[in-house]
Amino acid sequence: MNSFYALLLVLSIPEIWTHTRLAEDHDFQRLLRSEALPPITILVPAYNEQATITTSITAALALEYRHYEVVVVNDGSRDETIDVLRHAFELYEIPRTYPEQIKTNSLRALYRSRTEPRLLVIDKDNGGKADALNAALNASRFPLVIAVDADTLIEPDALPRLTRPFLLGREIAAVGGTVRVANGCLVQKGRVVDARVPRHFLPGVQVVEYLRAFLFGRLGWNRLGGNLIISGAFGLFRKDHVLAIGGYQTSSLVEDLDLVVRLHRYLLGRKVPYEIPFIPDPVAWTEVPETMTVLARQRERWHRGLVAATWTYKGMLFNPKYGRVGMIAVPFYTFGEMLAPVVEVFGYIITAFGLSIGAVNVSFAGMFVLVAWGYGMLLSLWAVVLEEVSFRRYGRPGDLLRLLFYATLENFGYRQCTVWWRLRAFFSVWKYRHVWGDMTRRGFEAVRE
Amino acid sequence: MTSRHLLAIVALGQAVLFTALIILITLNRWFRLRRSAEQRPHKVALDHAMARWATGQIPVGTVVSGLGQLPTPLIVDELVTWSTKVSEDRWRELTSALQHPWWAKIIRSNSSSARWWKRLETARFLSVVAMPADTARVLRLLRDHHPAVHIAAAATLERVDNTALATAALERLPTLAPTVSAYYAGMLVRSRPFVVQQLLKLLGRTNDPALPRFAEFAARLKEPALRGPLTALGSHPDGEVRTQVARALGGYRHPESFPALATLAADSAWPVRAQAVRSLGILADPSSLPIVRVALRDAEWWVRLRAALALTRFGSAGRNALLEADIGPSANARQMAHLILGFSADALTEFAA
Repeated sequence: MNSFYALLLVLSIPEIWTHTRLAEDHDFQRLLRSEALPPITILVPAYNEQATITTSITAALALEYRHYEVVVVNDGSRDETIDVLRHAFELYEIPRTYPEQIKTNSLRALYRSRTEPRLLVIDKDNGGKADALNAALNASRFPLVIAVDADTLIEPDALPRLTRPFLLGREIAAVGGTVRVANGCLVQKGRVVDARVPRHFLPGVQVVEYLRAFLFGRLGWNRLGGNLIISGAFGLFRKDHVLAIGGYQTSSLVEDLDLVVRLHRYLLGRKVPYEIPFIPDPVAWTEVPETMTVLARQRERWHRGLVAATWTYKGMLFNPKYGRVGMIAVPFYTFGEMLAPVVEVFGYIITAFGLSIGAVNVSFAGMFVLVAWGYGMLLSLWAVVLEEVSFRRYGRPGDLLRLLFYATLENFGYRQCTVWWRLRAFFSVWKYRHVWGDMTRRGFEAVRE
Repeated sequence: MTSRHLLAIVALGQAVLFTALIILITLNRWFRLRRSAEQRPHKVALDHAMARWATGQIPVGTVVSGLGQLPTPLIVDELVTWSTKVSEDRWRELTSALQHPWWAKIIRSNSSSARWWKRLETARFLSVVAMPADTARVLRLLRDHHPAVHIAAAATLERVDNTALATAALERLPTLAPTVSAYYAGMLVRSRPFVVQQLLKLLGRTNDPALPRFAEFAARLKEPALRGPLTALGSHPDGEVRTQVARALGGYRHPESFPALATLAADSAWPVRAQAVRSLGILADPSSLPIVRVALRDAEWWVRLRAALALTRFGSAGRNALLEADIGPSANARQMAHLILGFSADALTEFAA
């Protein structure tokens, strides 16, 4: 598993070089003035987001982009989300004017804003995140759609950066951007004005995790041609393709993975030329869990989704019809990502059993475990190196030291916890049809310690 | 060697690599800070010199020698930034002066570099300081296989009126995504007379599979000379060509546009009908009101939506048509009129955009 990540790391180096070069191109001002930028609809599903909704929607409405609209869907929140929106943006009710291309749960009302003409708010019965995204998709007017979580802050220049592959004229079906951890950062008026690495261990170690996942995990997959995940918190899609596959799957536990796998299946099945790249310089910031309970719930849910998705799309496994996706990506996600916690726990059990019966030498086993952990530690450290030589968001020496500290300690305790949470997903996968991750939000302005 | 030895060697290797990575991170940060501290004074001095030269207080030579103090990426960034702030005649003076410095010659010679980012640098450099002698280089960059390079090179066309370059840009059109084609259209403004002449020929090639792209591009220019050939394509067998024609005619308030749009509003393909009705709404000529009213009863939802939105542009006559439809016999028209009449003026403007 770690060796495959090492391969991804090697593959990500030319990718990050290319993207750093393109990202440094200051001709963006010229592109921002041109009419070449495709119009975009930002889809924001919201469920119990009263703490962060105003900040994140204000941020979404202040993006440096010419043609875009924001469609917020309140998915039957049990808190005051819709009232917060109503007051913050002076909403008034309007009739529905578009066809229901994808069936969703009943809409209660549609609202426009007196202060923000780009904003459309849909209030609907609870149906889960995928259902909310489908409702937003129905209401969207533009050919590109970007799904953004309501607890996510998009950087002001993220949209033009995200549309760069479209401007470069490639056959793009979807593009993913980087998601970074907002905890510990200074947020003002919906913008991260000072990027910091959190002082608390739990959110801090997730910064390294996110760097590793995005900076070399997904960049490496660009070279292998099989990006299976475009983050649900920040991904741009061609609407016609999404509509052609029936939108988001309401029965799926992780709608982002499910959508991208179905897109691959649809486009490869029809021999439509396409790319689903990940580009690292457009950034969205998200609030990550700060308690073990919430983090455990989140990771268990993610893994449940992965287990369910690999089962649902087992027909793509080693199927040459689906090219590199079928032959490399799906097998990796099945045997590498999905079964990784089983293999790791099995390894721990076998080692413990061997030790107890004296079949395994204690010092050898200890050294073996340390070497295995050291491998993981080096990979995390490489992620910090990539960050340092490319985008350098964390400028202070103190932040760099904290990153190194978390990268070093991630493998001792934290990793084993995530393995356990992911393992639990195997037992609960058939039990839950839960589609919104419950997370206690503190609000962006309060996220900094 | 036992497995224990092997593990020890691996552990040692990891420790060495770990230390090396820490050193790499530290050195990288140190070098970066040092380099930026070294470059900052030169950049500040250059900005100051540029500002003074732009107002005629110092000769251009000072700016050229200031540029020579910077690394190539910063030179290019500075030139691109200042090219929009300095008057055209003054910029021409700098452009001439930038033919001779050794560093400018190196940047120019990178137009044939094997590394795409070097070619991109040259394309960006030439996009603001290209001279007639650079035509062959820009031509090569315009035909570059790397999209970032040819898009940067296309920016040269914004400043330079050159038929060879404009022809090369037009040759690329059929292969460009619509977004990039729109970008090219913006860049080709200066070469407009030549581009129009070329498009007149291209629009005559009715069997060319690239015709929809040329029609789309011609529509963006809104050039009176192109109206006739575009109108003639209204009966083309390819539905996409007809859609582009329907879109283009919305930009021409000409007596011949209305009968052509009336025909297209009755087309068998609904995207053509929707586009034609939208264009009739943009032109908002009273004579076309009955056609739009008929379109409000179309079987296709999108055509009805476009028709209803178009009617809102016809003033009181259009509003009356919507009010009549709201209580009329056609269920389709009634539903759409009801929805559109429910909009506030702000929402309607925003929705119709």
